[in-house]
Amino acid sequence: MEYILIKVLEAMATFVLAFIVGMTYGGVVRKITGRVHNRLGPPWYQNFIDAFKLFSKTRGIHHGAMHFLGAAFLMVTSVVSLMIIPILAPGGHAWYNSWFTNLNFNGDLIFLIYIMTFGPLGMAMGAGQTGNPNSSIGVTRGLSQMVGFEIPWVMALVALMITYKTTSIVDFMNIQRETGTWLMFANPFAFIAAVLAMLGMFRYSPFDIVGAPTELASGPVSENGGKFLFTMMSSGSVFTFAKLVLYVDLFMGGANNLIMLVVKTFLLYMIPVLYGIVSPRYRTEQAVRWFWGWPTFIGLLAILYAVMF
Amino acid sequence: MLTLILLLFLGGAIVTWLGNKLSPVVGDLLFLATIIIPAGMFFTGVTVGEVTHLHALGLTLTWGLTPLSYLFSMIVVGLGILLAIYAVPFMKGKQKTGAFYFNFTLSVMSMLGILVSKDWVSFFIFWEIMTWSSYLMVVLNGKDVQRVGIKYFVFSAIGAYAMLMAMVIMNSQLGSFLLADTFNNFQHLTTGNQILIPILLLVAFGVKSAMMPLHVWAPDAYSNAPMAYTGLFSGALSKMGIYGMVLVMVTMINQLPEGTLIRDIIAWIGGFTAAAATLWAITQDDGKKLLAWSSVGQMGYIIVGVAIGTPLAMLAAMFLVVVHAMFKGSLFMVVGAIEKQTGTTNFTEINGLIRKMPWTFISALISVIALAGIPPLAGFVSKWMLYEALIQNNNYILVILLFFASTAGFLYCYKFLHGYFLGQEEPEWAHVKEAPVAMVIPMVLLALGNFVLGTFPQLIFKPIDAAMQFAGYDATGGRLWGESVLFTEWGDVVTLQPILYAVLAVFVFFALFLWFKGTKGTRYVSTKDISTSGELPKEWENLTFKVNFMQPFERAIEPFLKRQIDKYYTAFGNGMEALFEFTRRIHTGNGQTYAIYAILFLALLLLFRVNLFG
Repeated sequence: MEYILIKVLEAMATFVLAFIVGMTYGGVVRKITGRVHNRLGPPWYQNFIDAFKLFSKTRGIHHGAMHFLGAAFLMVTSVVSLMIIPILAPGGHAWYNSWFTNLNFNGDLIFLIYIMTFGPLGMAMGAGQTGNPNSSIGVTRGLSQMVGFEIPWVMALVALMITYKTTSIVDFMNIQRETGTWLMFANPFAFIAAVLAMLGMFRYSPFDIVGAPTELASGPVSENGGKFLFTMMSSGSVFTFAKLVLYVDLFMGGANNLIMLVVKTFLLYMIPVLYGIVSPRYRTEQAVRWFWGWPTFIGLLAILYAVMF
Repeated sequence: MLTLILLLFLGGAIVTWLGNKLSPVVGDLLFLATIIIPAGMFFTGVTVGEVTHLHALGLTLTWGLTPLSYLFSMIVVGLGILLAIYAVPFMKGKQKTGAFYFNFTLSVMSMLGILVSKDWVSFFIFWEIMTWSSYLMVVLNGKDVQRVGIKYFVFSAIGAYAMLMAMVIMNSQLGSFLLADTFNNFQHLTTGNQILIPILLLVAFGVKSAMMPLHVWAPDAYSNAPMAYTGLFSGALSKMGIYGMVLVMVTMINQLPEGTLIRDIIAWIGGFTAAAATLWAITQDDGKKLLAWSSVGQMGYIIVGVAIGTPLAMLAAMFLVVVHAMFKGSLFMVVGAIEKQTGTTNFTEINGLIRKMPWTFISALISVIALAGIPPLAGFVSKWMLYEALIQNNNYILVILLFFASTAGFLYCYKFLHGYFLGQEEPEWAHVKEAPVAMVIPMVLLALGNFVLGTFPQLIFKPIDAAMQFAGYDATGGRLWGESVLFTEWGDVVTLQPILYAVLAVFVFFALFLWFKGTKGTRYVSTKDISTSGELPKEWENLTFKVNFMQPFERAIEPFLKRQIDKYYTAFGNGMEALFEFTRRIHTGNGQTYAIYAILFLALLLLFRVNLFG
């Protein structure tokens, strides 16, 4: 019992870390976007204010059971991914290292790919129950885009798997510690393919087709305010952080302490953000086909490289 | 005992048919008894390894149960019982109930017969009974008999002839009809026959398991049969093809030097089947058709696993065989329930059934999550094992293809759920009620089975392991799977229990977090509660997005969708028709023409009499 309690506390610590870092990143991105647009932009802690405000708001309406469950499904994906992905490298010696192990040894990359789709599917169900056509349109766009970027992403992962004969994330980090080479240099094609897939995964422009603003439309009410938006916002932040950590773990050797973790994830995060700020938006079929073009080709190169060398 | 069970099925089928003429209630009861009594006898009385000999018509038929066939017959009998319970309320008030019961029972009997056959003669006889009974089911509703029925029949005939030819060659060369003899003496055949026989058999089994390019019959046949039967059709009947394929793979192909090449080809065909069928499923607007294509796709995964044939791949394929029967059985039951309650299965016509048919929705949701392969449900276990097996077996490109197929699978999964259960509710469907209890219980049970097997797959791995040891594999328990743990030879691990508990904990916590003060004091907005910004939609206007649902994605894969094997078959069929037209000029059916032929023939004989008769 005590063991489980400690595990739960550690999981909560991890969640709080991911929440804080993710929210801060969100605020910083808003600031950067503002400056690029020649605006002042909100302060970096604006997201925390928003979250607090949303959390304390009450709601006047509800949409039915599936709508409640949808947001909970979304949170499952974020939190369980965070539990599976090792936050800190196993070789680190900081005093807090053991806090962040969670479920690291219970799942592998293929598991992760699948659990990552659990939330969006559940959220899509919740959105569908409101009956608003825009929700359904967004869902079909999101799913289509997922099929797009999944191909180069899986290719990059398969390239790594066949080189090192493992699918466990912890093993990949150990390999990088032992050889002293980051996998982004060991198989550069895999890294490039993964980064290109990342553009779609983070849904910044030109791949922000899911969250694309539409005109104000008449139709069935679809309200995701208050706690719903709070849940979705925190889930988004946590998930962003988890995905960034996964990239750092796989390609940049993981991080031994929290400071290195923040530096590495932030640098990586700037790729989709900065590319996004200066890009217009694709149509759905353009986005899907884009991923099946050069990124897939580079993914093939990554596999070839892994087979040959 | 086996003979008795099969005879009970056969006798029961006839008695049910006659009883149904007497009174529908008697028919219902007799039908249930016919399925459940022999099924119960099967579960309690039959032991693996028992053999019976039957002497008939100068032939000795040998029947017996192996661990491999026991695994498959568990699916047949288990699914048979649940679908029989489901079928009684489903068929209530419909026509041709007697014929339905008759064919249903015969199908179950013939499948069991195939599984217990130890010689090719009884195998073939049962195979044909299975084909006939399913054919009669496909054309039961009398719609599209020309197109659907004939397509199914032609392909079944191709498969049957291929199998018959293989049987005859084997018997003439080896002098035995026994399965064991033909497998053991396979080396005594000539090299040409060693290649020919497995290919003929694979064609025969490929037709039933809807392997591309022999799949053309499947989507139409699956969707045209009554839904209470399609669960069995897709869940169990198509698995007979897989059963045969496993037999061929582990015995014949293993002895061939070209075995790896054949395995690779079959695996690629399977992978292509999975991907292409998934894309076609996405474009369907009818739930039956969507599930039918999805079945074809799932069979593709199974074929890949069987063809690769490493212990892990085989384990994955066999697990998927069991699990697919469960979630697809449940999903076809869902469609059947919706058809029963609303009278249509078209996504563009039905909306928002979630509040009206909650239990149907729950079983659909769980089954779809299992179908998509998302943890912690059962579909994930087989997907994980299959990918690991492919990567470890150096099938890199094939694994990408399967990943693509399974990701694209999410699209039709969502389309299915959204199509029936979500969207704006219409007053037109306000009268719809939840399906009868006898229909709901089987589908909920199957869905729950997926849930349990997702965390405790060892329940099924044990019989699978026994079957695989019978087929010549080493024991896999403790090496590739344990109590709620999956392993690979590379040392990758997934422990299922902690994951299940984490998922449940997070899910329950946040569901309660949102629910707290969520409904009390707040107003429920129906989907007809319109907010407006200027233009006001009228009461009768339905705003649900259903038509061209996945259009952006369909645009992206447009070049692919232009190619259809069906079109080539149609072109081939038209070409053949032209040929038949030509022969019809000779065979006019007119007596006078034939008289002329006879005279001409006599004239020819007279002309060449010297050359011919000396």
